[in-house]
Amino acid sequence: MLIDAHVRPALFEPICRDKSRLDSRCDAMHYHKMNPTGMDLLKKQYNLAGITGVFLLPSDCSFETGSTEISNDEIAKIVALDPDLYYGFASVDPRDRNSAAELIRSFKDLGLCGLYLNTSRLHIYPEDARIFAILDICREYGKPVIFHAGLSFEKDALAKFSRPIEFESVIAKYSDINFCLTHMGWPWVQETSALLLKYPNAYANTALMNFDGPYQIYRKVFREDMGELWVEHNLSEKIIFGSGSPRIRPVRSKRGLDSLGFSEETRKKIYYGNAMRFLGSKEN
Amino acid sequence: MKYLLKEETVCADKEFELIKITDKVRSFVSESGVVNGICFCITEHTTTGITVNESLPCVEKDILETLDRIVPEDYPYNHNHYLDSYGTIGGNAPGHLKSHLTGNHCVFPVIDSTLMLGHADDIYFCEYDGIKLRRYMIYVMGE
Repeated sequence: MLIDAHVRPALFEPICRDKSRLDSRCDAMHYHKMNPTGMDLLKKQYNLAGITGVFLLPSDCSFETGSTEISNDEIAKIVALDPDLYYGFASVDPRDRNSAAELIRSFKDLGLCGLYLNTSRLHIYPEDARIFAILDICREYGKPVIFHAGLSFEKDALAKFSRPIEFESVIAKYSDINFCLTHMGWPWVQETSALLLKYPNAYANTALMNFDGPYQIYRKVFREDMGELWVEHNLSEKIIFGSGSPRIRPVRSKRGLDSLGFSEETRKKIYYGNAMRFLGSKEN
Repeated sequence: MKYLLKEETVCADKEFELIKITDKVRSFVSESGVVNGICFCITEHTTTGITVNESLPCVEKDILETLDRIVPEDYPYNHNHYLDSYGTIGGNAPGHLKSHLTGNHCVFPVIDSTLMLGHADDIYFCEYDGIKLRRYMIYVMGE
């Protein structure tokens, strides 16, 4: 069992039929020279990697741009094509006064299973009353939250708004919500590790695609930036596999992580159990 | 003189795979009506190849395993870095190098409307960076 907890479906063919929308999405999210991929081909790619579950992360900076890059309805549309495979997350722009209503609609009507926010693109710090208002809804509906953390390659994104330590007060305040910081908060990997160590409701995903190939970047982050045994001895229940597709192909990302030689027990947690617990499953 | 081009699509089931395309090439030569001429088979991608070899599972396995030994997956290739022009990691250096070693095309005579191959020859599309939807060209020139 393997869950990829970080996929941006920007190039999923069913939501790419409007060329101008696709172009503006790729411009904002910084994806170039890549073509839309059909669902059957994606399924083959997931089978190749052994992936049995996929978190789909949308993109909403619409208060500024006028339109979402990947809307909640588009996420729901993809989930409906294969509800056993896909876990759809909602996004809203907290600067928009309709954001609360949109989030409630996404949870109640679209059945989306959590919230994704990229504060780097929104240019607001996590400890902002507008974000608290959104998190109050997640608390009410019992939904987990994924925060983009660290460097973002997306247009106009500023890393200072998503430095891991900026999330501490939010994670502490909403101790009944599970939070996942993406990209291990790179380059602030030690800040992320500190939050994972202290807060039971803090998780981080492995979507790393900054320097080098997957073998090198994973070794650098998990064996050098972090102590050799930090994952095995302290954080094995806090790290969730995420590829960061389409910036990197899931099968390749997993091979890099596999090469670190974590114990089988830890690998099972990273590849499946932790993602399920993050979602709220009691079984893992 | 006729000049005829056909583009075929192919999709592997694995990341690295040799896919036999002999029948597709023969079939187009036959359709083309060219009696005497030449046939080119050319891939459109830089992490795939076109080659000829004997269609035995052991030979196919040896080809792929030998390429893996020459071009290991975990070597720190120059191409393995963030490519701003794509917004992605260039993680497919082995595919480019295997493609380079294989070559992007093969050429065959067409005599008496027949694609000329050796008795053990089969034509392969070589996938080194799958799984993707791929295209290759069959180009027949002749009279």
